Amino acid sequence: MLRFDRRLLLNVDWVLIGAVLVVALIGLANIYSSTHLYKETGAPLYLKELTYYLFGAAVLLLIVSIDYRVLLTLNYPLYVAMILLLLFALVFGRNVSGAQRWINLGFFRLQPSEPAKLILVITLASYYYRKETGKGFGLLDLAVPALLTGLPFILIAKQPDLGTGLLLGFIFISMTLFVKLRWATLATLLCGGLSVIPIAWKFFLKPYQRQRVETFLNPENDPLGTGYHIIQSKIAVGSGLIFGKGYMKGTQGQLDFLPERHTDFAFSVWAEEWGFMGSALLVICYFFMILWGLNIAISARDKFGVLLAFGVVSLIFWQAFINLAMVMGLLPVVGVPLPLISYGGSSLLTNLAGLGLLMNIRMRRYMGSS
Amino acid sequence: MSPRPLAKINKIDPAELKMLKKRIDIAMAVIIFFAALLLTRLWYLQIYHGDDFAKLSEINRIRIQQIAAPRGNILDRTGQPIITNRPRFNVVWSREDAPNPDAVIKDLAKILHEDISVLLDRIRAATENPRYMPTRLKEDIDWETLVTIENKHLSLPGVRIEVVPSRDYLYGDFASHLVGYLAEISPAELAEKRYAKYQSGDQVGKQGVEKIFEEYLKGEKGRNYLEVDVHGFEQRQMQLQEPFPGNDLHLTLDIELQRAAEEAMGDKAGAVVVMEVNTGNLLVMCSTPQLHLQEFVGGISTTAWNKLLNDPLNPLLDKTIQGQYPPGSTFKIVTALAAISEGVITPDATYFCGGSLNFGNRKYGCWKKGGHGTVDFHRALVESCDVYFYSVGMRLGVDNIAKYANSMGLGKKTGIELEHEKGGMIPSTAWKQQRYKEKWQEGETLSVAIGQGYVLTTPLQLCRMTAAVVNGGTLYRPQMVQSVTAPDGRILKTFAPISDGKILGSAHSLALIQDALVGVVNSANGTAKVVKLPDVLIGGKTGTAQVVRLTQNEGLSGNNIPYKYRDHAWFTSFAPAEKPEIAVTVLVEHGQHGGSAAGPVARAVYKRYFELKAGKQGETTAEPAPSLPKDEKEE
Repeated sequence: MLRFDRRLLLNVDWVLIGAVLVVALIGLANIYSSTHLYKETGAPLYLKELTYYLFGAAVLLLIVSIDYRVLLTLNYPLYVAMILLLLFALVFGRNVSGAQRWINLGFFRLQPSEPAKLILVITLASYYYRKETGKGFGLLDLAVPALLTGLPFILIAKQPDLGTGLLLGFIFISMTLFVKLRWATLATLLCGGLSVIPIAWKFFLKPYQRQRVETFLNPENDPLGTGYHIIQSKIAVGSGLIFGKGYMKGTQGQLDFLPERHTDFAFSVWAEEWGFMGSALLVICYFFMILWGLNIAISARDKFGVLLAFGVVSLIFWQAFINLAMVMGLLPVVGVPLPLISYGGSSLLTNLAGLGLLMNIRMRRYMGSS
Repeated sequence: MSPRPLAKINKIDPAELKMLKKRIDIAMAVIIFFAALLLTRLWYLQIYHGDDFAKLSEINRIRIQQIAAPRGNILDRTGQPIITNRPRFNVVWSREDAPNPDAVIKDLAKILHEDISVLLDRIRAATENPRYMPTRLKEDIDWETLVTIENKHLSLPGVRIEVVPSRDYLYGDFASHLVGYLAEISPAELAEKRYAKYQSGDQVGKQGVEKIFEEYLKGEKGRNYLEVDVHGFEQRQMQLQEPFPGNDLHLTLDIELQRAAEEAMGDKAGAVVVMEVNTGNLLVMCSTPQLHLQEFVGGISTTAWNKLLNDPLNPLLDKTIQGQYPPGSTFKIVTALAAISEGVITPDATYFCGGSLNFGNRKYGCWKKGGHGTVDFHRALVESCDVYFYSVGMRLGVDNIAKYANSMGLGKKTGIELEHEKGGMIPSTAWKQQRYKEKWQEGETLSVAIGQGYVLTTPLQLCRMTAAVVNGGTLYRPQMVQSVTAPDGRILKTFAPISDGKILGSAHSLALIQDALVGVVNSANGTAKVVKLPDVLIGGKTGTAQVVRLTQNEGLSGNNIPYKYRDHAWFTSFAPAEKPEIAVTVLVEHGQHGGSAAGPVARAVYKRYFELKAGKQGETTAEPAPSLPKDEKEE
């Protein structure tokens, strides 16, 4: 089955590996800083995260060693599995602070909405690859991919996890814009989308979700409630100044003022302790990784590779942008993790698997056609 | 070139590639724009406005302090408070706040009359806590110490007084086993799901009603939002969310009656249970010696705990539901009911008691060595003739006795909503086969018939059984809570009587037994004449439960027998005989004789009960009589 090709080794993407390593080390050091004061039963969180990293590396190696074109035959089984997992989480899932997001596997608590993001990328890439564009997609051509996105979107939004749900929407929009759309289609969608927002606001959003958006627009109205997160995070980031307060010396993070400081607000801890220098370095590292991913996309050997790589890049980009903008007070608090930095096994494994796909595509760019 | 399973896939078409490349370029531009946006924002927050945020992080530290909620009150059935709350003052200390901790601690130790090492130990034990979390140095200081500390406030930076509501036991050790006690939540409990919202340091019910109704009693914690500066000094209070007090628990217990029972028990070890026969509501649940609840406030000391553990009177045991004793002659009620209902005997059939019965190669004695002579059913119960019940038991067989005993709620838990209840023991042939892999011996049936041998019951079981015998045969679930009310008086929950079914046996046989039990107290030869009250007709049955074989102490009598070998004394009863309202069961450990040791306690309870009733009826004539079940038949 696995035929070893020496060219694969020659084309290993050391640049991407290097960038991932830098971000990973920053992430681990940061989790240690933000959680070493926690009194958890069981293993310390940074050790758990390290275990996830090692496990993730194994997953990444496995993905790299199998030609990504296998996904063209696996995409629908994967999609069905994802829907079943999401349904399972909704019905039997573990309830953590009001949300049914987790499936308990005993050794690991899986959050199926995380792999769902990547599986959606694979599904859409396969669909758009198979569908001939011709003069560009019309409105009707979009019905199937919209449905494919809508189903997991509803299941995830129902958990309720609006952040991840919206992320699926962003991935769908990015990938659809990337393949050719007719101008008329684009215009219709734009108008339709804008008119849906007020309706969604009124009927679809839960009160707490509406409150979050309102708080975001005016955080000082509610400094102790939902505005607390945004204010404390902005203070943490801002008080880092140029060089930061020093590793493990951030007062906001260490003194418990920052909520969710090892998960969604991990970057605030980093920014507080390492200042503008550290945070700019991390942001640049990230965006370098993302731009490099686009470079991989355009140098792929076939169109499926291009679409897949682009999808993975959009997945990482949107997560990173939404999270960073959120902790800097540019977007409402929606609960999207920062890839490779926020604590959490499901998110880490998904993002490492995505990066594995990128490396996979990169390594096979010179392979001939079958 | 690629392996088979891969889809046939062609290299990218150059025209399309060109188009895709254009879009990738657009994507790159978008991404670079977003990156620039984020970097600008970072610059704006960290450099342009950095100093402002740095200042905010210095001064604008919102600290959220939790305020314990006053726990719900526990009241008796008339609404009189039994347990309420009072403020308790603790001395706490924040490391963060003190520039020169050693001197402060030294001063504080003097004020508190504590050795400095005690305080340092406490601080050391708390080093794992977050820095801002104050350490508790001493609990429940008195008023004088409080004033001293408040006066020296300025020279004691970091030292604060914390006010915590704590339990105030208005009647001391009143029903201590039933109400239980509070203590700091343990790490093991913190890991439990039901305590998910608790934090270390919180008080939690550890036993009895305090534990079981924790959910209702605990209330909602308040929050104090404080702005504190870099040294931890409070700047101002931003917002205060008052705690919400817990709900009140209305017990079915009657303060007056419970106290009468506790007084009557004096320093005797044992139990008193009083139940309303038509509801299963418990008016008295008394287990002696009682626990000194005050000792548990703020955590019991190890020496006090060890003393409790080693006390021969076993105060930690709730004897009402955990004490298992042979029921002795009180069990003759069961044997009698089975015999009449199964038709083994008629009320008029007589047996001759010559003081003993020979069976196999053993001699089974009657408690009355001279014998009762010719006895019928009524006299056998009134005078508690052992030989009569040996003969009847033999004809019934152990399994018939067990069938009736089980239907009367013996040999299994009553289902009262208290933890660690014991079920007692009712033997049968099948049980012995399973337990000992041995055949049942006929002789053992004789012991069972008079409530000895393997038979074990708890006082609560006997009381409930007595209630069922006199209320027409309904076995009620014992309950000790009437209702739960919110602090504003709203009723949140009420507890209706729960029937656990009917006991076996005809109404006729129940009436015969009831009649005989009245004789036990009121006829000249009755074994419980001491209980008799002038105005009220009481019925009951005495019992003496052997702790060891009598032969061991043969020849000794009364107080010459070592305490731990003395027999347990039982009395289970009801009143008024014409229309029973309450059942009273008394057990005195090692009290020797049912009539003389347990009887007077029951008498005191009845006396108080009817006094109270007369008093109440004097005030309110409209007092409705408790309603009887429809199938009640009295003959």
